[in-house]
Amino acid sequence: MELTIGAKLLNNYPFLGSLIIFGIGCYTVLSNSNLLKKLLGINIMESSIFLFYVATGNIRGGVPPIVDLAQPEALYINPLPTGLMLTGIVVSISVTGFALALIIKLYRFYGTMDANEIFEIRNEGKNNGSSS
Amino acid sequence: MAKRLVPILAMILVIMALYVFMLAVAELPPYGNVDNPAHNYVYEHYVNNALEETGVLNIVTAIILDYRSYDTLIEATVLFTSIMAVLITLKKGEQH
Repeated sequence: MELTIGAKLLNNYPFLGSLIIFGIGCYTVLSNSNLLKKLLGINIMESSIFLFYVATGNIRGGVPPIVDLAQPEALYINPLPTGLMLTGIVVSISVTGFALALIIKLYRFYGTMDANEIFEIRNEGKNNGSSS
Repeated sequence: MAKRLVPILAMILVIMALYVFMLAVAELPPYGNVDNPAHNYVYEHYVNNALEETGVLNIVTAIILDYRSYDTLIEATVLFTSIMAVLITLKKGEQH
């Protein structure tokens, strides 16, 4: 029997939730001009990807993948996505740290963290340079 | 004027992208199903043989510290590179 799109979406509710979180992060990146808020949006998007990937490995009725010698026939959930996302978290922390360093550098140079104001300051500098 | 339009345009763009992603999510294998393609022979091998091959009870630990230990080792390089980049970016001294 063929399910409708809505029923399929409700069945895949963790993926749908991670999509919504991704959308929130994407909107944060696009609509804010403050660089720190843009970085927060990127982190929200990363978290949604982690949620999506870890949810991929789940099995209904499974137990966490820690071997219990008393129950040798237990159904374990997939441990691989969890392990891979540990790598992803390290990368996300590295990217966040480097972006914060760049924001500090920009703030020291321009005196503002707002992307639009930084563009205005750069354009003024260009116009002055061409006229003088 | 143009700045007022940015959040609306961003909202339209995000909703259009989310609609496409939503169609893709609807076609994904059902959540939590044992027969999903994510649970293939790799999963079988890890779950069945991790205890014999590594002697670790926690299978996630067995994967990240034994089967994929080079991955974990080189993660330290990723962290080192990012720390070096931060230090070089924030280096005091030559002022422009």
